[in-house]
Parts: sequence; structure tokens; C-alpha cells
Amino acid sequence: MDAEPLKRFLKTEGATLVGIGDVTAALSSEIIHLRRGIAIAVNRNLNRETVDQLIRLQALAEGWLRAKGYRSLSIPADSDRKKDKMITKLYKLFCHKTAATCSGLGWVGKNGLLINREYGSKLSWATVLTNAPFRADAPTSQSECGDCDLCVRHCPSGAVKGEHWTLADPLKEIVSYEKCRALKTRRISHSSKPNCGFCITVCPYSRNGNNHGTT
Amino acid sequence: MADEARKKEIYEKLRNGVIQYDEDACREGAQEALDAGLDANEAIFDGLVSGMEEVGRLFEAQEYFVPEILMCADALYAGLDILKPHCKQMDLGVRGSVVIGTVEGDVHDIGKNLVKMMFDVAGFHVYDLGRDVPLDKFVDEQLKTDSELVCLSAMMTTSMVGMPTVIEKIKAKNPDCMIMIGGAPTSKDLADKWGADGYAEDASNALKEAIKMVGFLKKLRDEKLNKK
Ligand code: B12
Ligand code: B12
Ligand code: SF4
Ligand code: SF4
Repeated sequence: MDAEPLKRFLKTEGATLVGIGDVTAALSSEIIHLRRGIAIAVNRNLNRETVDQLIRLQALAEGWLRAKGYRSLSIPADSDRKKDKMITKLYKLFCHKTAATCSGLGWVGKNGLLINREYGSKLSWATVLTNAPFRADAPTSQSECGDCDLCVRHCPSGAVKGEHWTLADPLKEIVSYEKCRALKTRRISHSSKPNCGFCITVCPYSRNGNNHGTT
Repeated sequence: MADEARKKEIYEKLRNGVIQYDEDACREGAQEALDAGLDANEAIFDGLVSGMEEVGRLFEAQEYFVPEILMCADALYAGLDILKPHCKQMDLGVRGSVVIGTVEGDVHDIGKNLVKMMFDVAGFHVYDLGRDVPLDKFVDEQLKTDSELVCLSAMMTTSMVGMPTVIEKIKAKNPDCMIMIGGAPTSKDLADKWGADGYAEDASNALKEAIKMVGFLKKLRDEKLNKK
């Protein structure tokens, strides 16, 4: 089944990138029937309006699929916003970066973030899982960070280890989230932006002359 | 008071809201039920719960999978949150306390929560241990709270086998406590076989049974006291 019509539709509705990944390898038994991940990205910082925009795009995708008789499950951009729901338990079973790498929209950089060749790691992501038998896009199998190690050197907490990600060993620990989180906890008391995010801002892919507004 | 047709329409909306995992429809339906002056309790059971029963069938027919089930449960709770505060408090003249929970190895708690709700509105004091409750926890909590009643819920044939152990342990420590079991795979026969004092197939019958049991227990205790 051809996914182009859905991709085109979501892009006219404001998506920057849309990819279809075969995510079978990353599915647990509860969601094993939803073998395609629709990775949706918008070129904006993750804030309230961005989350709302992603929710809207996901709802459009789900409506499109439902009209054709397919199942779907939206993994929200920010699962923390729906803490007290039962369905929330399933969200942590699936990671947006997985859908993105599987649909060839980027690799996991040394900074642990999804890096897209054109937009770097400043995209905000959301995923819709579905059983629609879409032809999947070719996955990204390798990191394209190369010799660069800017994020390793600039991370103030020493969390970025400098490892290369590959699709063959996708779960290797690349960033020590312990360390990143510990720094965030320390900064929370005196900073309105506790996530320092240097690993994003320093990355050359994220600075490629793109207009990453704060809006 | 709403006429029959309107009532049916609202219950149907609640039922379909659960089946189609439409939280908004459940919220609207619940509000409409209240606005129309319908009985909140009836709206819960003839609307929301009847929908969840259909969901159970769809799951067994493999029409629905785990994500749908969870979304249906969220829709049920969305309606329940609105209706629950309006359930008529019943003064049944019986007061007592109940320990309730779903047994170890079992995370199904929708049915247990409905039973709990019935106890709440009837004025019982409820100690809810939640789900996947270690068997000994029931025994300890009963002793700690001196509750008249312990209610065990199980939804799986694999988890219900823990029930006789709990029953035996509680009876050994406190023979004066009443135990009731429930949940889809259990039955009156199993309750009898395992030495439970009661069984009920749904939440309203669970309450009726409980009142009978607690009343009986109170009488027993009074008689004992009078003899002294
Ligand atoms: C620290 C953190 C950040 C830091 C990241 C620092 C860094 N250098 O990585 C900052 C603040 C920058 C950040 C940003 C974002 N974050 Co963040 N972040 C976290 C946090 C707190 C900890 C992360 C963690 O422990 N991850 C666990 C590790 C094991 O997984 P991972 O590295 O994320 O992902 C692995 C898999 O995707 C796997 N993988 C990749 N491809 C494939 C393919 C296959 C087949 C398989 C099997 C696996 C696989 O490889 C990755 C690396 O090992 C969590 C919240 C939490 N408490 O967990 C949120 C969290 C991970 N973030 C989340 C999100 C959504 C984001 C953003 C994508 C926001 C957005 N929508 O734009 C951005 C990322 C932007 C980007 N381009 O990648 C979500 C992810 C939800 C999900 N289902 O995936 C979480 C869970 C928060 C939440 N509750 O919503 N984040
Ligand atoms: C919802 C559901 C889930 C949800 C649970 C969410 C939650 N928090 O409760 C989720 C998706 C998490 C789930 C998971 C699983 N489930 Co499930 N699930 C169901 C389902 C579809 C509906 C249950 C339900 O809520 N019914 C609605 C409520 C209102 O009814 P009720 O629970 O029967 O309660 C009423 C009465 O029984 C009674 N009652 C209940 N408790 C008590 C207690 C007392 C004291 C009394 C007096 C009365 C009483 O009053 C209630 C109200 O009137 C049933 C199918 C079915 N037809 O029942 C399967 C079912 C129970 N699940 C099943 C299985 C196998 C599983 C899983 C193992 C995974 C799987 N293969 O899908 C896991 C188990 C995880 C675990 N360790 O527990 C099987 C159990 C088979 C068995 N071994 O016996 C069933 C029967 C489906 C099937 N045929 O395969 N499930
Ligand atoms: S957010 Fe800051 S501390 Fe965390 S990994 Fe990035 S640079 Fe390091
Ligand atoms: S800064 Fe360099 S090493 Fe780090 S993620 Fe970006 S490209 Fe990769």
C-alpha cells in the first residue's frame, strides 16, 4: 500500500517531515500488530503549541486510517501530559526516535538525539502506529556523525559518551541520562530552562542555516 | 424526569462511547444523564458497564487488542468520574468496613473498582489495596483494620488459584471475618469449595450480599456479647 497520499496530506497540514517505518523489531507483545510507525516531525521547539500541533496532525492521520478501516495508536509527543490515563502505560513501550530511524528520517547522534540531515536535532516528533500495510521507507542503518565530537566536548555533565549508534545495536547506551538528569535537577531551582540542551545547539547539523525559531 | 426513549438514547450513547473509546462522548453522555435527572447508578451500569461487557466480547473475538481495551477503559472512567459523585448515598442502616483488592498476578481492576464504588455509596468504609496484591497483604490488612469483610477479585483462571490460600489464612487468624469472592472466572461453586462466605456475579449483587453478610456478622457478635 502506497503511503504517498497520507504523507502529502500531513505535509499540507503543516508537517515538516513524514516517514513510514517498519518498526516490527521494536514492538512489544501488546502492540505487535501495529507494524508500521508513521514518524511525524515539525520544525519547531517542543513547547505547548508544538505539542498541540503534533496532536492535531496525529488526529488527522488517525482519521485518515480509520476511514480506510485500519487500526492506529498515537504515541504523544509529550506523554507526561496524560499521566493518569490507562493508555499512558503503553506509550513508554515505543520511542519516537525508533520510528524516525526506521523510516530513514535520521540517525541517533552521539548526543542521543534523532538527527536529520537537513534539520539536525531541532525537530519535534510524534508517532502514529498502525496496522495499515504501507510499503515502508528504507531505514537509516548508521550514524553520520563521523569524527565530530562537539556534543561530547560541550556537554557540561559529561553525559555524552561519544559512541556511534547503529541500527544493528540500537539500544546501546549512548548518553548517560542519569548524568543529564542530575544536572537538570540541580538547575531546576535557579533556571527557568533546566534542560541545558547544549547537545542540541552545538550540533553542526542543527545549525545548518535553518531557521529554528523559538515559536 | 426523562421519558423512556430519551433514557435509552443516553444509555446507548454511554455504551457506544465506551465501545468506540470516545472519552468525549462518555463525558457528554454522563452530563446528559445528570441533566435529564436519570439515576447515576443506573447510567453507570446500564450504560458504561454494558459497553465494557461488549468490549470484553470484542477482545475475545480478536476484534480489539490491548490498546483499544485500555482506551475503552479510559472512556469508561471519563464517564464514571462525572457520574460517581452523583450516585445516591444509600442509608442502609448497616455500617462496616471492607478490605478489597485484586489478587496477586492480576492487574484487572475495572470490575473491582465498580464493586468498591458500590460499597462507597452504601456508606461502607473501604480499604482498597489496589491490584496485583500479594496474598499476605489481605491477611495483614484485615487484622490491622479489623474489617468485617474481605473482598477478593480475580479475572484470570491463573490468578484466582491464589484465593483459597488467602481464605484459609484469614480464617485461621480471624474466623469471625467474612470473605466474598468475585470476578469472571469465579463462581458460587468455587466460593463454596474454597470456604468463602459469599460470591456475587456483579457489583450490585456484591453489595446486596455484603449487607446480608455484615448484618449476619453483627448479629452473631451481638449474641456473643449478650451471652457474656
Ligand atoms: C534527557 C531527555 C531529553 C534530553 C536529551 C538529552 C540527550 N542528549 O539525549 C533533551 C531535553 C534534549 C530531550 C529532547 C527530546 N526529548 Co526527551 N527525554 C529525556 C528523558 C528525561 C530521559 C531520556 C532517557 O532516559 N531515554 C532512554 C534511552 C534508553 O532511550 P533513547 O536514547 O531515548 O532512545 C533509544 C531508542 O530510540 C533506540 N532506537 C533508535 N532506533 C531504533 C530502532 C530499533 C529497531 C530499535 C529496537 C531501537 C531503536 O536507540 C536510542 C538510543 O539508544 C526522557 C524522559 C524519561 N524519564 O525517560 C525524555 C523523553 C525520552 N524525551 C522525549 C521526547 C519526545 C523528546 C523530544 C523528541 C521532544 C520532541 N517531541 O521533539 C526531544 C528530542 C529531539 C530529538 N531530535 O531527538 C520522550 C520520548 C517519548 C517516546 N515515546 O519516545 C520522553 C520519554 C519524555 C516523555 N515523557 O515524553 N530529551
Ligand atoms: C479490560 C481487560 C484487560 C485490561 C485490564 C485493565 C484494567 N486495569 O483492569 C488489560 C488490557 C490491561 C488486560 C491485560 C491482560 N489480560 Co485481560 N481482559 C480484559 C477484558 C477485555 C475485560 C475485563 C473487564 O474489565 N470487564 C468489565 C468489568 C466491569 O467486568 P468484570 O471485571 O467481570 O467485573 C464485574 C464482575 O466480575 C464482578 N466482580 C469483579 N470483581 C469482583 C470482586 C468481588 C468480591 C465480587 C463480589 C464481584 C466482583 O463485578 C464487576 C462489576 O459488575 C477481559 C475479557 C472479558 N470478557 O472479561 C480480558 C481477560 C480477563 N484478560 C485476559 C488475559 C489473558 C489478559 C493478559 C494476560 C494479556 C492478554 N493476553 O491479553 C493480560 C493480563 C495481565 C495480568 N497479569 O493481569 C483473559 C483471561 C483469561 C484467563 N486466564 O482466565 C480475558 C478473560 C480475555 C480472554 N478471553 O483472553 N486485560
Ligand atoms: S541536555 Fe545538557 S547535560 Fe543533558 S546531555 Fe545535553 S548537553 Fe549534556
Ligand atoms: S555534535 Fe557532532 S557528534 Fe554530536 S550529534 Fe551532532 S554531529 Fe554527532
